[in-house]
Amino acid sequence: MIEKMRDKMTPRIGRRSFLKMAAVGAGVGAAASLPLGRSLRAATAAEVKEPFPGSKRVKTICSICSAGCGMIAEVQNGVWVRQDVAQDHPISEGSHCCKGIDQIDLIKSKQRLKFPMKKENGQWKRIGWDQAVDEISGKMLALRKENGPDMAMFLGSAKFNLQQAYYFRKFAAMWGTNNIDHVARI
Amino acid sequence: MTNHFGDVVGHSKVIFIIGANSAAANPIGMKHFLQAKDRNNAQLIVVDPVFTKTAAKADHFLRIRTGTDVALVYGLMHVIFKNGWEDKEFIKTRVYGMDEIKAEAMKWTPELTADVTGIPAEQIVQIATILAKTKPATVVWALGITQHSTGTSNTRILPILQLVLGNMGKNGGGCNIIRGHDNVQGSTDMCCLADSLSGYYGLAEGSWKYFAKSWGVDYEWLKGRFAAPEWMQAKGFSLAKWWQGVLQEETTYSSSPVRALWVQGNGITSMSQQVKIQEALDKLDLVVLVDPFVNEAAVLTNRKDDMYLLPAATQFETEGSVTATNRTSQWRSKVVDPLYESKTDHDIMFLFAERFGFYDEYTRAMKMAVKDRELQPVKEEFVWPDDACREIARTIKTIGLGGWTPERLRKHQENWHMFDPLTLEGKGPMKGEYYGLPWPSWDENHPGSPVLYDVNTPVTAGGMGFRNRFGLEHDGVSQLADPSVSVKDSKIAGGYPEITKDNIEQVLGITLTAAEKEKMGANWKVDLSGIINEKCLAAGVAPYGNARARVKVWQFPDPIPKHREPIHSSRPDLVERFPSYDDQKNNFRVDVKFVSEQKAQEWVKDFPTMLVSMRVVNLSGAGMLERTSKYLSHLTPEMFANIHPDLALQYGLRDGDMMWLHAPQGTKIRVKAQYSLTVTPDRIALPYNFAGVMQGVDLSDNYPEGTKPYTIGESSNTITNYGFDIITQIPEYNAGLCRIEKA
Repeated sequence: MIEKMRDKMTPRIGRRSFLKMAAVGAGVGAAASLPLGRSLRAATAAEVKEPFPGSKRVKTICSICSAGCGMIAEVQNGVWVRQDVAQDHPISEGSHCCKGIDQIDLIKSKQRLKFPMKKENGQWKRIGWDQAVDEISGKMLALRKENGPDMAMFLGSAKFNLQQAYYFRKFAAMWGTNNIDHVARI
Repeated sequence: MTNHFGDVVGHSKVIFIIGANSAAANPIGMKHFLQAKDRNNAQLIVVDPVFTKTAAKADHFLRIRTGTDVALVYGLMHVIFKNGWEDKEFIKTRVYGMDEIKAEAMKWTPELTADVTGIPAEQIVQIATILAKTKPATVVWALGITQHSTGTSNTRILPILQLVLGNMGKNGGGCNIIRGHDNVQGSTDMCCLADSLSGYYGLAEGSWKYFAKSWGVDYEWLKGRFAAPEWMQAKGFSLAKWWQGVLQEETTYSSSPVRALWVQGNGITSMSQQVKIQEALDKLDLVVLVDPFVNEAAVLTNRKDDMYLLPAATQFETEGSVTATNRTSQWRSKVVDPLYESKTDHDIMFLFAERFGFYDEYTRAMKMAVKDRELQPVKEEFVWPDDACREIARTIKTIGLGGWTPERLRKHQENWHMFDPLTLEGKGPMKGEYYGLPWPSWDENHPGSPVLYDVNTPVTAGGMGFRNRFGLEHDGVSQLADPSVSVKDSKIAGGYPEITKDNIEQVLGITLTAAEKEKMGANWKVDLSGIINEKCLAAGVAPYGNARARVKVWQFPDPIPKHREPIHSSRPDLVERFPSYDDQKNNFRVDVKFVSEQKAQEWVKDFPTMLVSMRVVNLSGAGMLERTSKYLSHLTPEMFANIHPDLALQYGLRDGDMMWLHAPQGTKIRVKAQYSLTVTPDRIALPYNFAGVMQGVDLSDNYPEGTKPYTIGESSNTITNYGFDIITQIPEYNAGLCRIEKA
């Protein structure tokens, strides 16, 4: 069964061809004088040592589970280029799970929601922030006028940071409802 | 968590895990348990309906029938009490109400417990013996314990076991509950909850008045924002049953039906009753979904209009603190600016607060500080998140966040290499502080409290007794700790009450000046002046008192925890003896069915297989986040159910065949049968992190272009059975029934 699953996971690269590729890769590393394609060249010693010159290493915390593992995010020119484990972090001591080590890919995922959207006549439509805020606040206030503030249900996040969580609770309070909750209840 | 992961590695001799699969859900937590095994020869005991990856590492595995945790723990206590192995001194001096627990435990003989739980009687005796003879033991749990119609009783009986064993307030002991999301502890502490204001202050008038003051706003203005004052003090709809506010099929109690849903970072497909949620989403007047990814609520619904998706930035595109499962606060630095057109969650809140007309009131407190013992405006502009952090620190007294200033939290992050992983103690420049100042950290000099309820450590170094929260006496018995239980270096011997303006002089033996009296709040929870805190710490006194742990909650339907059969029980013969609760009127603004649902029919006749939810290592929560990762999604390329071959063959299912699973409420899902020996033939296990397919219908077309994750699948929550906890209303995810049909 596991074999079957593995085949499905790697539809294009079978195990054999993967090994072949790895062998070529090792060859390139061992003898840099091999002729390479025009668009490729061997990395210089300086580049191997420091592939992202001028980058900074930002200490931060994994956003998956509540263990609270440390992470090092390497940032170059405003782009998160590399993720490293935090060897000296007192909780994770250099460990990560498969979800944590993949944070950089999750955040840069192609499937991110990139701009505000609305559904109109059954179709998704890209809109700007101004329009989104205008329309949503107009509708919220109109409903509030009809039914009072308890017409709204606010669901907050266990992925807010502490300050945002506090401000979300305050947001519901100042809107005028206790219809507020989050996933602590599941 | 009362303790922390490092403490388990350093001290625990037994790790009793019940209803948690750390190896899948929380692998770095699991690493610590394995270290405890390697280094201390700690025994790992795992209780679970499924032979999980965590169970695979256990010295003892107890395969429990779902929904019988209370029975099991009473069975263990039966053996302990019968042999006189309980910690008599601890119970006598620090606990209230244990006699009733003992009386209940005496009914749970190993034989009865074995019949109810499915765990052999000899194993119950063996495990009870290990727990009694091997100290300290820590008890670990997660959602396998809470997600039940008896969740509250489950979460009470386990700390009671630790009180019986005298394992509370000790290194290597305690209750180490593993929370889910990265900041679920923090968001809970801040009470994004329908039944409380931030810091568990509740919703009574006094709490609202304190918060109005703390926010720098007029109480009457705040009251005027609500439909009527009564609604200000009434619990709102909960995450578990908000959809009844829309559908109103069961009786609801609110000033308005729910017409608009505003979701900011909450995976709706991780909630039970997906079909009802779909109906509610279709019916609402307005749906606003704020998330870094498409919230799959948008995919679940077939509505055509009045639905908006707003792109939120992730936590790596903003800055702030995050509370780990052990109450440690960690500063999370911003890595990059918000990607694409996304905005940070707080900026989105600010934008709408402005449109809703309360921006000034909303942000005012960030421009205030306590000066001359009074909260007052001090500047024109605020700095996010620093000023919000300071606002929380000066406001939230109940759990002692006074020490969590942005300066200290940043310093802890910069110097995280200066802290000992086993004790969390700081070294060098961080000497005298614990990593991340685990709450309570009473004030700006307090080091944090790595182990709760430890009376052998001074309050100023993180020690304390149990909180005095429920009055001075009950049924004529003092609720304060015995005179023999003094917190180390405390000026006061024995137990003492929570500190108020009225009792502070008498309890601490001090005299206040007239100015102090004038500025002091009514009690330690609402004293913005900070005087009570200061005087208490100077006397080595915890402001919240030194009391007894009560094992009897006289306000609850079950003052002491009772075993009650799951609503959809696999053992109808036990339902008569251990029925569920009477049906409930108006909890979180809606009625809830218990016994009427349980006895509506003999469910197991039509739905003979137990249904258990489980976790997989590559997905978390609603799964939307990880299913957009190429690498993680490919580890579970489709939704499946673990099924024992013997059970599968009864339905003619071969490994990999598709099957329908039907639930008592008439819903169904179509999933792949994956042969597995981790389950017995009486039950199947389903991961709970999929969405995008609903009762056999592929909803791919509902995703906006380019946002569909790599994997979609049926949500197990579509067939999660009806059922909710009587106190918290958490849904029953883990003790249900289903019927299998070959697809």
